[in-house]
Amino acid sequence: MIGAAIRKEIQLVLRDRGTLISLFVMPLVFMGVLGSMFTGRQEKHAPRPIAVHLEPGSTRAAAAVRAIEQSGLFRAREEASAERVRRAVAAEEVVAGIVFPPDFDPLAGRPGELVIDTAAPPEVRGPIEGALGGLVARSLAGVELPPVLVAKSPPGIKPAVAEASPFQLYVPGSSVLFGFFLALTVGISFVHERRSGTFRRLLAAPVRRPLVLVAKLVPYYLVGLAQMAFLFGLGVVAFGMEVGGSPLALAVLTGAVVFAAVSLGLFIASFGGTERQVGAIGSVCLLVMGLLGGCMVPRAIMPASMQKFGLFTPHAWALDGYYDVLVRAGTGLTDIALPVAAVAAFGLAFALVGALRFDFER
Amino acid sequence: MPPLLETRGLGKDYGSLCALAGLDLEVEEGEIFGLLGPNGAGKTTAISMMCGVVTPSRGTARVDGLDVARQPLSARRLIGLVPQDLALYEELSAVQNLGFFGGLYGLHGAQLSGRIDWALELAGLRERSREPVARYSGGMKRRLNLVAGLLHRPRLVILDEPTVGVDPQSRNHIFATIRALCTEHGMTVLYTSHYMEEVELLCRRVGILDRGALIACSTVDDLVARHGGDEVVVRKANLESVFLALTGHRLRDEA
Repeated sequence: MIGAAIRKEIQLVLRDRGTLISLFVMPLVFMGVLGSMFTGRQEKHAPRPIAVHLEPGSTRAAAAVRAIEQSGLFRAREEASAERVRRAVAAEEVVAGIVFPPDFDPLAGRPGELVIDTAAPPEVRGPIEGALGGLVARSLAGVELPPVLVAKSPPGIKPAVAEASPFQLYVPGSSVLFGFFLALTVGISFVHERRSGTFRRLLAAPVRRPLVLVAKLVPYYLVGLAQMAFLFGLGVVAFGMEVGGSPLALAVLTGAVVFAAVSLGLFIASFGGTERQVGAIGSVCLLVMGLLGGCMVPRAIMPASMQKFGLFTPHAWALDGYYDVLVRAGTGLTDIALPVAAVAAFGLAFALVGALRFDFER
Repeated sequence: MPPLLETRGLGKDYGSLCALAGLDLEVEEGEIFGLLGPNGAGKTTAISMMCGVVTPSRGTARVDGLDVARQPLSARRLIGLVPQDLALYEELSAVQNLGFFGGLYGLHGAQLSGRIDWALELAGLRERSREPVARYSGGMKRRLNLVAGLLHRPRLVILDEPTVGVDPQSRNHIFATIRALCTEHGMTVLYTSHYMEEVELLCRRVGILDRGALIACSTVDDLVARHGGDEVVVRKANLESVFLALTGHRLRDEA
């Protein structure tokens, strides 16, 4: 019976272009656009241009500009006047500029002027302001200083793979977001089955009712696995995404994510309603869950309260797990046991509540 | 010989609404029994309980002595339900639909293929069996809907208004199929319809449900003789005049 159900549901999915597009094409568009946006910003570590103006003969300013150039983070674009620097920043030709006064001497209370949009978000302004301030301050020492801080992961946290690209965030982000959209497909499939009367035929067959639910869900579990394998496979092949950790850990986490998505479909179906209601309300809920869970904007840059709030979604736990497996070298199954357990627990809860609420005789 | 289908006090409540009060019915093996009733009389509720789709609030339904509620899997193997809705997957072909519905009853391999061929022949759909059902006419869908409930060769076929919206050709084809089920395959048929002439044509015995209760059950001839009223004098009374005499002429819009 399960075999017949798998065959039937897969035949239906293959004939439904809308479902195929939403499950397989839309995530690709998302991950391509988001990943490219942030890859473009990095341009593989190309130095960002900074407008500078300094008076000839100002040795401290010249040393500061040299330090900025040598950092590899910025490229100093010299301007003829302070006004030209300010205009370049205002016209967004450069992200920031520095005007060094003729008697530039911060230790004597005569600092330079950092020209930057002070209304820019702190996460944009802060790193630039911090990096330029640090470089200029180090240049004042007059000698080449040894590194004052060296970054190291604490024990228990694995280091990042050498070439972590934005796709390592946005491939799982889009995959999880659209992977959970499978829940809508499952929910709508139940509604459609009820509306067309085929569910009555299923109930009239010599099949136990729990098995009717299982027979509806198992095919979608397989579709979900195929969807995730396709998206991650394409992430590796087309977008150069690396898998820093163990493929087994990746597979187990993906199995848990698809289980949670399919169970969420049963949970949605248990509320009944029309196909339009399930589609409209369900898609908004899934988008909000994806947003809170960090599928579109990484949770790491959210306020602390939102980061915690996100943990009420399976998306957040899934992405935490994927981050470790993809970005941290050598991550194994035991390292992501908590995210896997959390996602599976969400799935179990959705399945239990969905099955208990499901009214076969509605 | 004990009846193939037997209900005793079969009833269903939805909250405070009594959809079916307590149905006592017997359908003999090999007969075509007609179940009539206006909208909201409780026909679909009764059928749903007889085939195990809905759990009764009280009473029992037995098929060949098997209690549908207590021995659901064994009882359902004996029943073929043909719902009023076109309960088909329109995106799939007739062969794919029949393959799935046959699989629900444990049919597979050569046996399933043989039954699908038989069902396609019975429905007159062999030539277009690989096309999506969505491209079929209303009559073709109705015929497929009918045979989808017969693949496992049930002993009791429950037909819930199987001719709604079909042309006379398809209706005649469906009638011929139903008669063949009884005469050639020994199946028993419980037939519901709004079309009195259909029931009169197919069924020897008829039960009339109204407001959740069975208000008459006998042969068509007996019902006409007992309830045909003045029409017997004016013109030959038929089942429709009996039906209207028993259930009244007022519109019935309740669900």
